[in-house]
Amino acid sequence: MNRITYLLAHILLGVLAFLVFTRVAPGPLFSAFQLLFFILSITLIIWRGINIGWRNWAWLILLIPVVNVGFLLFAPSKERFPKRNFIEITPDRSTTVDDVRLVRWNLARNSVRTILLSVSILIAFLLFGVLVSFNVAITDVRTAPNRMVTLSKINFTESLPIAYFDRVLHTDGVLAATHMNWFGGYYQDQRRGFMAVFAVDPDSYLRVYQDDLHLTPQARETFLHERTALLVPRNIADRYHWRVGQHIPINSNIFTNGTNGSHVWDFTIAGIFETPDGNSQANSVLIRYDYFNDTITFGRDRIGWISFLTTSATVNDRVAHAIDTRFANSQDETSTQDAAAFNRSFAAQLGNIALVVTLVVGAAFAAILLIVGTTMALAVRERTKEVGVLKTLGFSSGRILRMVLGESMLLSLIGATLGLLAAAGVLYILSHLNGGGGGGFHLYPSVIGISAAIAIALGLVTGILPALSAYRMNIIEALGRR
Amino acid sequence: MASLFKQISAVTSMNVRSIPQRAAMSIASVVAVALAISVLLFFLALGHGLSQTVQGSGANDVAIVLRDGAGAELNSVVTRDQLNIIAQAPGVVRRGQAPIISGELLVIVDGNKRSTNTNANMPFRGIGPEGLSLRHNVHIVQGRMFRPGTNEIVVGAGLLREFSGFEFGRTIRLRGTTWQVVGVFEAPGTVFDSELWADVAVTQSLFNRPNVYQTMRVQMTSPAAVQTLKRFVHDDPRLQLQVLSEREYYAQQASQSTGQFTIIAWFLGVVMAIGALAGALNTMYASVAARSAEIATLRIIGFSGYAAFFGTMVEALMLSALGGVLGLVISFIAFNGRSTSTLSSGFTQLVFRFELSPGIIVSAIIVAVIIGLFGGFLPGIRAARVRPQLELAAQ
Repeated sequence: MNRITYLLAHILLGVLAFLVFTRVAPGPLFSAFQLLFFILSITLIIWRGINIGWRNWAWLILLIPVVNVGFLLFAPSKERFPKRNFIEITPDRSTTVDDVRLVRWNLARNSVRTILLSVSILIAFLLFGVLVSFNVAITDVRTAPNRMVTLSKINFTESLPIAYFDRVLHTDGVLAATHMNWFGGYYQDQRRGFMAVFAVDPDSYLRVYQDDLHLTPQARETFLHERTALLVPRNIADRYHWRVGQHIPINSNIFTNGTNGSHVWDFTIAGIFETPDGNSQANSVLIRYDYFNDTITFGRDRIGWISFLTTSATVNDRVAHAIDTRFANSQDETSTQDAAAFNRSFAAQLGNIALVVTLVVGAAFAAILLIVGTTMALAVRERTKEVGVLKTLGFSSGRILRMVLGESMLLSLIGATLGLLAAAGVLYILSHLNGGGGGGFHLYPSVIGISAAIAIALGLVTGILPALSAYRMNIIEALGRR
Repeated sequence: MASLFKQISAVTSMNVRSIPQRAAMSIASVVAVALAISVLLFFLALGHGLSQTVQGSGANDVAIVLRDGAGAELNSVVTRDQLNIIAQAPGVVRRGQAPIISGELLVIVDGNKRSTNTNANMPFRGIGPEGLSLRHNVHIVQGRMFRPGTNEIVVGAGLLREFSGFEFGRTIRLRGTTWQVVGVFEAPGTVFDSELWADVAVTQSLFNRPNVYQTMRVQMTSPAAVQTLKRFVHDDPRLQLQVLSEREYYAQQASQSTGQFTIIAWFLGVVMAIGALAGALNTMYASVAARSAEIATLRIIGFSGYAAFFGTMVEALMLSALGGVLGLVISFIAFNGRSTSTLSSGFTQLVFRFELSPGIIVSAIIVAVIIGLFGGFLPGIRAARVRPQLELAAQ
């Protein structure tokens, strides 16, 4: 599903760019460029699907600037495009190829300016890609719509009596339920970072999260039967170089182990699991509740929260109401909500990230809008005489308008492509910091789609005024102006 | 030499006075620099405000006692027995016979964050009878202090600013019991400003943590007495505890929580500055191109290439400095002093204000000047290399 949306977004972007360019300035070179764009996009998807290494990313990121710089360099320069070519251009439809040449030539003749503008556009799209993907990653953890949680009404850090589990499980509309405890775990040194270690009831946990964990049957069996079994996600196993069967000590910064008086518990790794992209369990380390509950010195027979699936998302509200009413006015009142809603409100605790992202991205786009807009106006003003000549030769005003728009559009799309590739690179690096502990950030299809729309809008907005002034330009004035 | 300076100042003033002719591009470049500087300042002021609030919370002569290795209050446990031993330690200030100590228990309760209308973690702190006198800058601004042994709460003014649910006079149900908000206190510029306080004994019993504290605060006779207490605790095998001065403790907490904002600030700031630099270079190249005839004329009547170079440099520096100043103005108007909140290293919400410091302002100005220097350098070289005859012949 994920890969298909990705594919669609890319194809949409490619088709849009293709349509815009073939309308504005059709020609073999443009088509070749767009074809390349297409191939790159599709390659990108295939690679993403099979999780490419950083080397491939580096190649990919290098390839685009190389292609574009080459495209600019090999465009005919002033010297290699002698004046007689101008005169040879005849204004009928059969010579439309020359429009393309003119657009490219216009971009290439001041290559310093083109590169500078591409860099500033790149920056805006880089920020957009990175920040919006980051925001999506932390606010939009993918969970099934019928997944719910029952927490203490006071706060999710308060525990609930274990007796609540059975009552929730037997509430009408509950399909499967499990309970979890926060262990406060870390490996060896607290400063090297925490792990999300949860003490779970193995049987019911694997039932509720059966679609989330890709686990070998053997790992599953071991976790169901061995008291000290531990399940770790691939990224954490890689970070600490853990293997199945290895004995490892895990510290808790909350609980004391009653059997040895320390804060350390010994575990045996029963299995290493994989999760689908962006899954809520992607960073969960799992230990068994019975082992945990029997050895802790305080907080025994209490559970952190109950995670459950309803028979269908349509009964969510009714189930939540039934559970919360049942425990109302007790010592431990509950709050039951959708897992997605809970994740969103937890992310909101960090701050109004969406607002901050909007402000920063807005600032970046406001800056490039001004820079590119004024520069395009200058570029057209510099070419006043040429526009006069073209019109004298019989180029229609509409054709000139399309040429100027094509130029700003091409500039904006080059910058956007480069910016998104740079963003993909930055996100890749971010998610591989700490050997995979940085969280699974990547460029989302929706971000690419919106970027394409913004790039087209940016090309239009920055080009439209200069294009109109070229459109309206009067030949006599244009040739007379210095 | 003197004539070179004269030339430079003449060319500079010509350049500067001709800026209005290139108004649109110059404004674009100024605004781009201003926006880059504002983004940098936004995150630096955020980190600095947070850091100042956390650091400003600790006193030198108050010791804080935690479980050894706990790192933060929430993970710490101090028993009543340990509390009683420390109460008898040397260097503890006494009022009559009673030591000025406060065993404290921090639990987390939900409040409603106004800006996003979502639940957020509020620190609910049970404090001992001396809890208020242990914190020097705290005073009640509305209502009164809670009475020991009752279900009464006082609330920090900062918390009220950002979160709803604990307004003065309101009754709240927690764990099947009714609590009343009887007062509002102010502790400006400290973490306490975003806390709820209640009697520790009531908190222990109602939150089901009988005789357990998390931390203990002790008023010491002097900052040096904190060291004495550290030794005292270290030498007693019954006390697997860690003693820090309150200032040390909060300095540690501050360094944990602000590093990330500094990284974000410089990452975003530098990326945006590169964008602004591209804009500045573009503007300056255009400026040199527009003035090429003028520069050629000057060269023919005897001005040197250096004058052309420095004229361009100064123009670029002026534009970026203007951008820097505009960025500062935007920062002062838009967010400096504004209240906000985030999840602190203690896993509860911390309310603080954006705060610009002289150091932050200086680094923003340096970034603006660097943009100007780079933005003027290459175009300046191009200006110095203008070949007068060719240029005028082309006109």
